[in-house]
Amino acid sequence: MRLASALRETPARPLLWVCAVCAAAILLHAGAMPPWITLTALALVAWRLAAALGAARLPGGAVRVLLGLALVAGVLEQFRTLDGLVPGTAMLILMAAIKLLETRSRRDQYVVIGGALFLLLAACLRGQALAWVPLYAADALLCCAALAVVADGSGTDAVTVLPTRDALALAGRTLLYALPLAVLLFLFFPRLPGHFWALTSGSDAVTGLGDTMTPGGITHLTASYDIAFRVRFDGRPPPPQERYWRGPVLHEFDGETWRAGRYAPAGGQQLDCLSRPYRYRVDLEPTRRHWWLALDTVMGSPSPSVRYTDDYQLIAAQPLSQPVRYGAVSCVRSRSLAPLSLSARVADLQLPSGRNPQTLALALRLRHQAGSDVDFVRAVLAFLRTGGFSYSLNPPPLGPNPLDDFLFHTRTGFCGHYASAFVDMMRAGGVPARVVTGYLGGQWNPYDGTLVVRQSDAHAWAEVWLHGRGWTRVDPTAVVAPERLRRGILDLLPGSVSAPERLVHAWPWLGAALERWEALNGWWNERVVGFDSRSQLDLLRQLGLRSPALRDAGWAFAAALLIWLAGMSWRLGGEPGAARPDRLGRAYARLCRKLARAGLPRAPHQGPLAYAQDIARRRPDLAARVGPLLQDYAERRFGPAAGGDPRPFERAVARLRAGRRETRRRR
Amino acid sequence: MRARAGFRDRLRRRAADWARRRQGLDRLPLTLRRRRLYILPTRAGIGFGVLVLAMLAAGLNYANSLALLLGFLLAGFALVAMHECHRNLLGLALIDASAAPVFAGSVGTLRLTLENGSRLRRHHLWAAIADEAAVALEVPAGARAQATLPLHGTRRGLMRIERLRISSSHPFGLFRVWTWIHAPLLVTVYPRPVGSLPLPVQRGATSGARACGASGADEWLGLRPFREGDSPRQVAWKAYAREAPLLVKEYGASASPLRRLTLEDARQPDLESRLAQLARWILDAEAAGESYGLELAGERIPVDRGAAHRHRCLAALARYGS
Repeated sequence: MRLASALRETPARPLLWVCAVCAAAILLHAGAMPPWITLTALALVAWRLAAALGAARLPGGAVRVLLGLALVAGVLEQFRTLDGLVPGTAMLILMAAIKLLETRSRRDQYVVIGGALFLLLAACLRGQALAWVPLYAADALLCCAALAVVADGSGTDAVTVLPTRDALALAGRTLLYALPLAVLLFLFFPRLPGHFWALTSGSDAVTGLGDTMTPGGITHLTASYDIAFRVRFDGRPPPPQERYWRGPVLHEFDGETWRAGRYAPAGGQQLDCLSRPYRYRVDLEPTRRHWWLALDTVMGSPSPSVRYTDDYQLIAAQPLSQPVRYGAVSCVRSRSLAPLSLSARVADLQLPSGRNPQTLALALRLRHQAGSDVDFVRAVLAFLRTGGFSYSLNPPPLGPNPLDDFLFHTRTGFCGHYASAFVDMMRAGGVPARVVTGYLGGQWNPYDGTLVVRQSDAHAWAEVWLHGRGWTRVDPTAVVAPERLRRGILDLLPGSVSAPERLVHAWPWLGAALERWEALNGWWNERVVGFDSRSQLDLLRQLGLRSPALRDAGWAFAAALLIWLAGMSWRLGGEPGAARPDRLGRAYARLCRKLARAGLPRAPHQGPLAYAQDIARRRPDLAARVGPLLQDYAERRFGPAAGGDPRPFERAVARLRAGRRETRRRR
Repeated sequence: MRARAGFRDRLRRRAADWARRRQGLDRLPLTLRRRRLYILPTRAGIGFGVLVLAMLAAGLNYANSLALLLGFLLAGFALVAMHECHRNLLGLALIDASAAPVFAGSVGTLRLTLENGSRLRRHHLWAAIADEAAVALEVPAGARAQATLPLHGTRRGLMRIERLRISSSHPFGLFRVWTWIHAPLLVTVYPRPVGSLPLPVQRGATSGARACGASGADEWLGLRPFREGDSPRQVAWKAYAREAPLLVKEYGASASPLRRLTLEDARQPDLESRLAQLARWILDAEAAGESYGLELAGERIPVDRGAAHRHRCLAALARYGS
């Protein structure tokens, strides 16, 4: 009984659409949600569908409430909070699916479509990558078409339903008309610098640099072909071997894992630039971390919200949830002017007691043989160069004293192993040292002239404090695998890289296509995603305003709105054009035009028969030909046989031209 | 709740009065121009607006360009939808509105003829009398369509239909465009034909030529279509069973008595009941094929029979006392 009434009140077709919209919104988030949420929501949609088709019963109110509470508890269990984008989205997905279960009236259907649009918004907030945009657009189209279907409801005798294709075409056309307005508003709607309230973004899955390094922990990064950031240099770029991109600096070591420890609280130290300064802009992909990457060594903070620390890191107040662009100036060779503080010296000499004894002994031996700190550095590097070490991304596992294992047994490792062994030995020998993680190198994209740095370019190196020179970069990996500096990991180790990289390596055209795509992505991130109040002011400046302000953006916004409204009124606001006559009517119009050319125009008030009489009076010679034709039209149009095949009449009208020519010749 | 409903009714009435003053009286046929089209967001439209505002707030706050773009796109979508909704009525013509007389207490029909001279199909229109329930219809491109509205005959007399309403919330249900048409239409509402008194026996002689040649048997005249008020006994059920339309057997009443119906004969407690009884008699007499006349204060309808006569008599009853 309940089912029957539900079906009567919610005719099946709009309901199918609402189910489709809901499922599409759920699938849009499938990648970011725990599988059980997606599956539960889809199951609820399937339940509603089954009920609509008569194969299942809809749950009662008590069941729905219990189900809702259980799902809220499940989400809480999963995320420990309902605050934040991902838990909020999960809640919204489940609530929309439950709402679908109680969808009976048209109002309920509207509510579900609204929920689907909100889920689309959540998807936009989560990721703005160009690759997603077609999917978002398709979802928006689906939602709008569903609005049309729901609005028209089910058909009655008097009213036919809107066919699926028409609904999609209608929604598509409406969105297409709306697109110019959207672009104008996007460009001119006054943007605010900064936020009203802060975004709490979950600490979900992270790719990129972490704040710890356990030799072996960077392997998974190497496998990723994702872009970390793009750089565009003003002027000449630094040579390949100087392209060290500085990320987190690691101070604390427990024998296995390096940690950032407590960040040095002091502000940035003064640096003496020894090379030419390089100016560049970075487009950093969202990392959900605090670090901003810059060419080693950056000279200052690019933004007031980013702290410039005394180990030359850039640390933002908020974790990076959106792509960001900033300009920076760096010197690839520089000298610290201030002396090393005591606390920094203590932190960067710290070693775990009792771990890696063989390494410690070796370091002490080399330190005794070396005359100065510089000689000690050279001796350790020489040991790494001549000790039979090899570079590999798949090193064998290491025991409880990993550095001993590495230096004296396996002798195989990657940058993390070498940097960590080197810094450990430096500290053992009394030279303050630290591990710096970041990226090395990058690839030129020939289509937009940017240097693309990928996750697979991740690297770790060392810095030691030398008297008179300050912090000095030493890359022990370069000693073992000097080619790592000039070429990417790809060229160096073709056997141990990820599948996409190998594909790109095997088929250069694929690489070219990928580069084009990435250039397009770069444009998207720069021009669309990165469009902010500053870009808006730049745009206004380009449009001729000398010193634009927020208010001018408002004026431009109003002007754009008016222009679009005028265009829209012109396009849609006028009365719809007259109906095109049918075939018979068109043939009659042709006949009238022919007669008008012959000097016998039809007066607007004349019907076909009156016209025939008129012609008979004015041109008796034509009457015999034209009269029957007009008579024929009147019969076909108004007579009992109206609605028949118009073709004989069309042919007769076509023949009339010859007839008229004959009459003319005769005269 | 009731206060709110009362407030809304008052608001609606004031808006209607305002439109009436503003538009003046209309004459059919009438083309719907911009001046008489009103458009407002529906409840779904207001919800949609709130949704778009939330999107814009989120986009602005999180400096999320895609969310802003989506918000602007949907805002534009709503604006275009408004134009499309408005266009669904613009240029439509109301050719004719007509209603047959109706008995009080029964439901008649008001027939609207709409013409769509444009090449756009007019989807999902709603037509209604004033604020009553609406009837859906659509008008294909370059065609005419009729809407049949239920017409409730409430009180005997001349019912004045002040206002017609044609509305549409096609295509997306976000806006509703409507128009009020003030083309006063008078519908005669006959008295409700009730009363159990038998047809009065004629005082005095049967009159004139009709009395001659009384054969005692009714003369078969033929079949005619069923009309409201016909007695079921008169229906040609056999023909109906052969899937013919509902037909009524008509007999000539060459020898039937003449009846002159008066208000005094209808012995009922009040005027309305008397009129109702008279209406009943008229129908019965007509159904029986008898001739009858009507005498009311100030109006005398000579004896006759037939549909036109029936209407004349019933209309006189409807007008009586007004």
